[in-house]
Amino acid sequence: MTSPLRIWSLPWTLRYLRHEVLALPGRTAALLFVLFLLLFPLLSQDPYLLRVLTLTALFALYAASWDLLSGYTGQVSLGHAFFFGLAGYASAILGRELGLSPALTIPLGALLATLAGVLVGLPSLRLRGPYLSLVTLAFPILTTGLIFLFPRFTGGELGLSGLPRLGQSRLEEYYLVVGVFLLSLLFLWKLANSRVGLFFHAIREDEVAVRMVGVNTVRYKLLAFAVSAFFAGLAGGLHAHYLRVAGPDSLSLFNSIQPVIWSVFGGIATIYGPVAGTFLLFPLLEVLRVAEELRMLAFALLILLVMRFLPQGVVRGVLERLEEECPRCKVKNAFTRKVCRACGVPLHLREVKP
Amino acid sequence: MLSAILVNGLVLSGIYGMLALGFALTYGVARILNLAHTAFYMAAAYGLFFFLERMGFAPAALLASLLVLLIALAAYKLLLEPLREHEATVLIVTIALGLLLQEVVLLLFGAHFRSVPALLPGFVEVFGVRVAQQALLALLFAGVVLLLAWAFLKGTRLGLGIRAVAQDQEAAELVGISLSRAGNWAVGLGAFLAALAGLAVAPMATLEPHMWNAPLLVVLAAVVLGGLGSLPGALLGAVVLAFAEVVVVNLVPGGAFLRTAVALLILVLVLVFRPEGLFGTAFAEER
Amino acid sequence: MKGTARFAIWGLALALGGASWAQVLRIGVVGPMAFVQGEHTWYGATLAAEELNRAGGVLVGNQRYRIELVRVDTNEMTSVTDAATAVERAITAQRVDFLIGGFRSEAVLAMTEVAADYKKPFLITGAGLDGILAGRVDRNYERFKYLFRVSPNKSSDLARTSLLLLGEVVQAVRRDLRIERPKVAILAERAAWADPLVETATRLIAAPPPQGYRAEVAGTWRPSATATDVTPELTAIQRAGAQVIFTVLSGPVGVPFGRDWGRLKIPAAAVGINVEAQQETWLKATDNLGAYVATLNTLAPAVAITPKTIPFISSFQARFKQFPIYTASGAYGALYILAEALNRAGTTAADAVVRALEATDYTGPAGRIVFDKTHDVIWGPGYTTGLGVQWIGGRMQAFWPRQWRVGNQTVSYAGVQPYQLPPWVVEAWRR
Repeated sequence: MTSPLRIWSLPWTLRYLRHEVLALPGRTAALLFVLFLLLFPLLSQDPYLLRVLTLTALFALYAASWDLLSGYTGQVSLGHAFFFGLAGYASAILGRELGLSPALTIPLGALLATLAGVLVGLPSLRLRGPYLSLVTLAFPILTTGLIFLFPRFTGGELGLSGLPRLGQSRLEEYYLVVGVFLLSLLFLWKLANSRVGLFFHAIREDEVAVRMVGVNTVRYKLLAFAVSAFFAGLAGGLHAHYLRVAGPDSLSLFNSIQPVIWSVFGGIATIYGPVAGTFLLFPLLEVLRVAEELRMLAFALLILLVMRFLPQGVVRGVLERLEEECPRCKVKNAFTRKVCRACGVPLHLREVKP
Repeated sequence: MLSAILVNGLVLSGIYGMLALGFALTYGVARILNLAHTAFYMAAAYGLFFFLERMGFAPAALLASLLVLLIALAAYKLLLEPLREHEATVLIVTIALGLLLQEVVLLLFGAHFRSVPALLPGFVEVFGVRVAQQALLALLFAGVVLLLAWAFLKGTRLGLGIRAVAQDQEAAELVGISLSRAGNWAVGLGAFLAALAGLAVAPMATLEPHMWNAPLLVVLAAVVLGGLGSLPGALLGAVVLAFAEVVVVNLVPGGAFLRTAVALLILVLVLVFRPEGLFGTAFAEER
Repeated sequence: MKGTARFAIWGLALALGGASWAQVLRIGVVGPMAFVQGEHTWYGATLAAEELNRAGGVLVGNQRYRIELVRVDTNEMTSVTDAATAVERAITAQRVDFLIGGFRSEAVLAMTEVAADYKKPFLITGAGLDGILAGRVDRNYERFKYLFRVSPNKSSDLARTSLLLLGEVVQAVRRDLRIERPKVAILAERAAWADPLVETATRLIAAPPPQGYRAEVAGTWRPSATATDVTPELTAIQRAGAQVIFTVLSGPVGVPFGRDWGRLKIPAAAVGINVEAQQETWLKATDNLGAYVATLNTLAPAVAITPKTIPFISSFQARFKQFPIYTASGAYGALYILAEALNRAGTTAADAVVRALEATDYTGPAGRIVFDKTHDVIWGPGYTTGLGVQWIGGRMQAFWPRQWRVGNQTVSYAGVQPYQLPPWVVEAWRR
């Protein structure tokens, strides 16, 4: 290097790509994934395939939001559909009463979901483990009860239909959702890797110790609820407008369990885990449509088998085999390497035979 | 009115009680939040339906409960015990197990509603309320089962061991109680109780592949309400929620659909004031 | 030379025959195939498709089309999202030209949005919500004109028929039990489609004749559509002293209702809508306790609503070994209606087909199908009204319409027997 390297310039980007991204299979896969999502329409514009990818992307956002709360801070939410469904309804009702476009009602719905997140987070502060999970479970069910009590306002069990579209064509809708998805993912990724993320991990591991160090765990726990609820609400609003219907189906127990399954399948307490889990399982369920009766059965069997042998999640399990941490400098290396790429220490140390 | 609430409440308490006790055992001892618990209950009911076409009630009931016991123990040994440390994974594995049972039932029996013929047809009038004789039989059965379970847990050494592990795992290990043995027994007993509940309910209820969803919520709520790790607490929780359901259905004729919501509302309220449930102990976190 | 000539002639014949047979109409049959409602939609469509193909296919212009059915399991009972995706897949990946089917109203709302997006004619055979068509076809004709309902099960029409059945039973109570003002308990599942029916019934029951029945409403109970135990409601109904229970049940709760009602011998006659009681598995499902339950139904054994009814029922039973429910006759009729419309239109272009469909006047197994301005089936004598059936002696027997006076007509079908009050009800009230 004879000339100084300026950040964000092309040579810097290429160097970064070569040494930081392509050096590791995990990061390469992430890059390929983002490129795939952005460039897929060049491959095919079949509306059905676009539909599947759009739904997968918004469900992946939903799963990632769940993971931020439950995987990172350990406050396992079994009622995440509360935020998802509430935002969908809010967006629909705001659109109906005030005539606003989805560009406004969806963020507003997500903000309402954020408030709901704090609402759920408050009683949860006193609760631990399964107690907390049960309380979170109660909220979508109570909301469903309320919806049925005021059918004229909420549309009862049929929900609100005829919601305005997100875009003029499946392609437009696809790019909108994928765009929101990738930006949100970037935000969540940055958050998880920041100090705040560190506190989340710490709170999960040992809240008492964290408090002893002087950190205000209440603030961080509520923050986790709020941010998680916001993104779940964003996904919920997009979903309602994509389907053109906001119904009590979005608050169902099944809808609460889905992000749990996807996230744990992919690997909790990571952001890429829920994304991978959703992108693996949701399209799979679609593909299995050809075996209509055996569909759910195959799905359940798959989860059982994969979880039995890769309990930390598929992505973590795979990454563990593909990447290795250097014993001295802790930098990640691809499994094909014999020496660490940063400090040169030999990896895969073998036992010395006497 | 009052008599209707009392009678129906008691019958429902019996069923929920058996389910809640089984669930509390599995959680308290093996520390597994078994979301497939009520799926075992469903499997037993369908098993009874299946075997009844080929034999009398007693052998069919026996075979059905043995079948469920077998499934539960196999699931525990092959899937759940190896995954002990990964709590979140165990959770979705039990969900997947419940889904699996549901799909198998759907494949074998279809989505149609099935009925198991009642052992005791007809009804009696109790305090002016017409009660199916089968319901009274179920109540009696539940009572006997719960008493026997109680006798087992209080009176035998094995029962003592199980209770000890439910109360404090580390201390129990310190005094030499085998955790894995207690776990096996608790899982087996829990599944057996769920199966018995299924057998009791089958002649009264309608069998359908989703019949395990609503009771699951109630059982979860009952056990948490009573306090996790507390066996009498689980029973009390079951009784409270059963009566709450019956009261709602009887007093609010247009509001029967709210029964699950009310049960959960009660749960939330209780937890706000007593975060460990009614009888739960706020013990230090286990490592 | 002879061989080559023969070969040439055969080849030509095949080519010509092949060319005129080359065209295929792909029709998507959408429904919850794991449930009897979806299954029967498929069966009914299959029967019609086979008959039509045997008769030479559908003639559109001067082209003959063979019908090919595409089975689409929407899984609508579990997930509305899934159902909408299934329809989109059927249209884009499986390339269906037309759609028939649909059962769960909440899902059909989403499914029809997709169909409207792609301008595919969708003939609905199962869902009963008025609002699938009303408020859409009239207010936004250009978008929703592709939607039609071919089964006579619009909720408001079901309401009219079921109330007429109620009237019949109230008459029986008045006549046989000599009670001037019978008490009617309303037991309606908690669902949007039941709300207007409950309202109308409450008004009608108490109103003086000729509109009303001059009876009394003993109370209204709303269990969940998926409840498995209705003993609390039944106990309360018994204490309220009702002689009649007007049921508005379409969900699985119909079965526990029949079973608990029969087991506890509640002294009130059950009549109204009970979709579970429309199926031939009713007695088995209720442990034989569901006898004497009366419900409205689209078809009944041995009752010829039109000349096509009995042949349809016979061929259906011979082929599928089950008694058809309304989604079967709906799908069967839908295929014929579509075929006739294509015939009239002379083209498969959607807009022309829609216009031709609007001119439909088809007499099928369930009655005469003519569409009104919102593309719904017209109700009334001379069109379709449905039947009232009652379970007696282990069989489903029709009891309505029997000498039903409407205007200056009297409607009656052969094979209809008089309504019978359950014997324990008679015994309880004779004292």
